[in-house]
Amino acid sequence: MSEEDANPNAKDANPSSSEALVGSDLFGRWEQLRGREGTVVGLTAIFVAVFPWLFARAPVVSDFLQGYQSLATLILIWGIFAIGFDLLLGYTGLLSFGHAAFWGGAAYASGIVAKNISGDPIVMVVSGTLFAILLAWLLGFLSLRRGGIYFSILTLAFAQMMYFMAASPLAFLTNGENGLTGVDVGNLFGVIHLEADIPSIGGMLLGTWLYAFVGFIFVAAVAVAYRILNSPYGMVFRAIRENEQRAEFVGLNVWRYKLMAFIISGAFAGIAGSLFTIHGAYVPLQSLFWTESGDIVVMTVLGGAGSMFGPVLGVGVYLYIENIVSTVQALTIPFTDIVLIKDFGFYWHLLLGIVFVAVVWVVPDGLWGIIGRVRTFVSDRMGGER
Amino acid sequence: MPLLETENLVKEFGGLVATDDVNLTVEEDERVSIIGPNGAGKSTLINLITRRLDPTSGDIRFKGESIVNLEPHEVVQRGVSKSFQTASIFPDLTVRENAEIAALAAERGAFGFEFLRHRDALTDVHDVARDTLNSVGLLERADTIATDLPYGDKRRLEIGIALASEPDLLLMDEPTAGMSPEETKSTVELIEQVKRDHGLTFVLVEHDMEIVFSISDRIVVLSRGGIIAEGTPDEIRGNEAVQEAYLGGVEI
Repeated sequence: MSEEDANPNAKDANPSSSEALVGSDLFGRWEQLRGREGTVVGLTAIFVAVFPWLFARAPVVSDFLQGYQSLATLILIWGIFAIGFDLLLGYTGLLSFGHAAFWGGAAYASGIVAKNISGDPIVMVVSGTLFAILLAWLLGFLSLRRGGIYFSILTLAFAQMMYFMAASPLAFLTNGENGLTGVDVGNLFGVIHLEADIPSIGGMLLGTWLYAFVGFIFVAAVAVAYRILNSPYGMVFRAIRENEQRAEFVGLNVWRYKLMAFIISGAFAGIAGSLFTIHGAYVPLQSLFWTESGDIVVMTVLGGAGSMFGPVLGVGVYLYIENIVSTVQALTIPFTDIVLIKDFGFYWHLLLGIVFVAVVWVVPDGLWGIIGRVRTFVSDRMGGER
Repeated sequence: MPLLETENLVKEFGGLVATDDVNLTVEEDERVSIIGPNGAGKSTLINLITRRLDPTSGDIRFKGESIVNLEPHEVVQRGVSKSFQTASIFPDLTVRENAEIAALAAERGAFGFEFLRHRDALTDVHDVARDTLNSVGLLERADTIATDLPYGDKRRLEIGIALASEPDLLLMDEPTAGMSPEETKSTVELIEQVKRDHGLTFVLVEHDMEIVFSISDRIVVLSRGGIIAEGTPDEIRGNEAVQEAYLGGVEI
């Protein structure tokens, strides 16, 4: 069902009812536009433009959400990571348990470049991403020799190897356990200070230049990922997920396509990791740890693997619980002072676990799957009434 | 020069000889059936030719060139396609996409870097997929998710995928296995029609003797891994060794 997003051909399974929808019906027109690339990218851009305002500054809504600017930026950064990860997990059907290697590796690479060569944000993103691509090439080449659980374990092992390398043998580069401190991020195009607020209406919506920079890259990442899903690759990836042996026996070089899926997904992780360094001006050693690999799996599955935007939603929910819900002192009944649970925020891991189990149990296609079901329900109603 | 040739082909699984010194030739435009009792090594032979299995010894030549060191997808790219014994399709993809996957491999090769090119631009792939679906009678169901097809149609799609890879030689492993009499009938009609329209060379592995005798130019009989007889349907019908292989086990 979530496949529909990336797959215009799969729609109109029932031509007569979709013809009935076209015409004066606004909903029908929307259904037609929905699959188009321009629509998807445009809606993403609108979302990115209003998200920090709604989240951190809008009256009522933001009071309720309790969001803040920097978290909005972080959600988009992890969102880029999740989109790339889902190309591998949701579409190609390969579970990597070592994507911290690309996220953390790119974070370190861009930080080291900033300290030693140039703190230009664009140079940082390009160098971090290039590092992640080369690393994904190497680790993919080694890990994809095996399938299934062995592939997952190999990726985990290589990523942990990177973690221990960064912790001690390479401490002269990475600053070991303390993480890479003192990363000096330069001005964008030499003039724009990223931490500064954007003046006037742009500032009200977007907040900082950093958010605008990340937001621009996020929209570009969505456009590229959506195009990949609509290219021959998108079809081949899903074919490999569905029936790898058959894909080989129609004459496709499955191994090379899998390697490309791994590299593309590593590139997205690399872009995100570099932005993470720019965002925090610091690289924690934690960024290479296996828990980061686990987080991205949980976020992707929570939001809905195999859908374009599900993983981004998963990122939002995860980071929201981790950063906002965890600070709630006591859970009260709304608009009263009656305390339900004391030290509610303390249990955020438990809450996240319960949400995750509930989602996987009730809607295996993730939170985005719920939206898909509602949409199908509505479109059946709208189509049926005509 | 024959299209396909195996030379002293042997496959052993542990102590069991599944393929015993097989010398098989298939000429261009020929329709060859491989028959034999259960466990005669028919599927093993097909799997050796498609490179799903490595031979213990011997050589396989396609269009005069040895293919024993190639990967399965390279063999398909040379022009050998296979339809599986079970409906081996891409269940969550649409019928059209199932055909397009194979057409993509046929038109654009085993691998490419076109990950930023929109699929709508691949008109050659769309054309091949549409023609193939038309010839297997599934064009009207092109937008159906493959897993929702009835079993007979899944097997048709399976043959469609094999055809969309535009093979010179099509290997069919029991195309009517598990089918109802009606489905079998329509599959046989499909094979007859493919034979007429595409002029394909094919090798058929089949249990149903009626089908074998009606659509083959030549029949090869396997028993215990080796060829015990080959000839036209009429020659095979009266062959004593064949009768022995099929009935002997029962009598003893």
